[in-house]
Amino acid sequence: MDFRWDLIISSLPMLLTGAKLTVQLTAVSVFFGIILGTLTGMLRISKTPFRFIAAIYIDVIRGTPLLVQTFIIFYGLPSLIQRPIPAYFAAVLALSINSGAYVGEIVRAGIQSLDKGQWEAAASLGMSGYQTMKHIILPQAFRRILPPLGNEFIALLKDSSLVSVIALEELVRKGQVIIGRTFRPFEIWFAVAVIFFVMTFIVSRFVDLLERRVTRHA
Amino acid sequence: MPKNILEVTDLYKSFDQLEVLKGVSMKVKAGEVVVIIGPSGSGKSTLLRSINYLEEPTSGSIYFKGELINPKRNLHKVRQEVGMVFQNFNLFPHLKVIRNITLAPSLTRSMDMNVTEERALELLKQVGLSDKAQSYPEELSGGQRQRVAIARALAMDPQVLLFDEPTSALDPEMIGDVLEVMKNLALQGMTMIVVTHEMGFAREVGDRLLFIDEGIIVEEGSPAEVFSNPREKRTRDFLSKVL
Repeated sequence: MDFRWDLIISSLPMLLTGAKLTVQLTAVSVFFGIILGTLTGMLRISKTPFRFIAAIYIDVIRGTPLLVQTFIIFYGLPSLIQRPIPAYFAAVLALSINSGAYVGEIVRAGIQSLDKGQWEAAASLGMSGYQTMKHIILPQAFRRILPPLGNEFIALLKDSSLVSVIALEELVRKGQVIIGRTFRPFEIWFAVAVIFFVMTFIVSRFVDLLERRVTRHA
Repeated sequence: MPKNILEVTDLYKSFDQLEVLKGVSMKVKAGEVVVIIGPSGSGKSTLLRSINYLEEPTSGSIYFKGELINPKRNLHKVRQEVGMVFQNFNLFPHLKVIRNITLAPSLTRSMDMNVTEERALELLKQVGLSDKAQSYPEELSGGQRQRVAIARALAMDPQVLLFDEPTSALDPEMIGDVLEVMKNLALQGMTMIVVTHEMGFAREVGDRLLFIDEGIIVEEGSPAEVFSNPREKRTRDFLSKVL
């Protein structure tokens, strides 16, 4: 059996449209995931009752499949609130909530890895808890968690393929559609894999670069 | 101003089952240099750290300028006026030296940034590190870091400075520079409470010496008195080991 390069070439524009959506979904979800995760991580180590909510959130999300979470949001939630949820919105919501839990644990670990003396020095200078977080703790924590955060970005880039199940035309779904028309699964899945690899490779190099730039004084 | 800038009454502190402070009372007058000595594990650092509530006392009260320190009410304000220098410096590694010094004043006071920076440069000059303003802490030696830490504490214009074994983490050749800075501060009239193993410094700079052992103040007096003529056996035993 011959390998149909021409098919890959002709499918490329469509696959790249899908890849664009994959990148977009991931970027938006990482953005919200980091916000949600930072909040979660901070609450997790706070002395407020919210720390239990943060812990439950992390446990539940990490303990259930992203696929099921996506189904609950796309199929389950609409019946609850009596209105449909657009696929794109559902995907971003599912990926953000999922990512937030993982980032929450990363942020918590990052904060706890800092020397207790940093808190004490800030406190002894009369800085408030908020000021200490903002100017002392988080800037240092983020420098340290950049590598695991990069991994999380890459994981999410790949996991975003799961939202193809709610008919969102990202890279994997585009691949399925093309295969449905051409009956050439090997070429198309091969092309999809290569595109994913190129994307994750670029992200990981970018994270390396960023890491070298910002971790100098941490 | 009340006679005593700082007053500690009947302070107890336990960590879980371990009782570290067992009823400590002390008074510090403005301008006084009080040196606290004692064996490791005696509670001297815990006492110092309780003064600005880095350790919350189990019971007892601390008065700053006659006002009871209450973590819920006035602790931030007290901490802005009671500076602390740590054994491990605790500089902020992600900030340049100058920013280490200006950060807290710029956050807690509505002062012109130029004024704050000028003051920081002045303080760096005072500790002999004028050329290090743009360096990062990791580029400095231990002794230089500790002097930056002192400048950082001074930038808040504190009325009392607490020193928690400020030279214990330093190489021997670095200790002199730091002690020199502290000595000059004392001469300028800064109120200081110093936990240290530097007996020479205690003798030369201290106005009053407290010897702490097993969570209580065993003996206190002028350094000359305590060093040459200790009344308590425990003090004698300790001094015979360190002198």
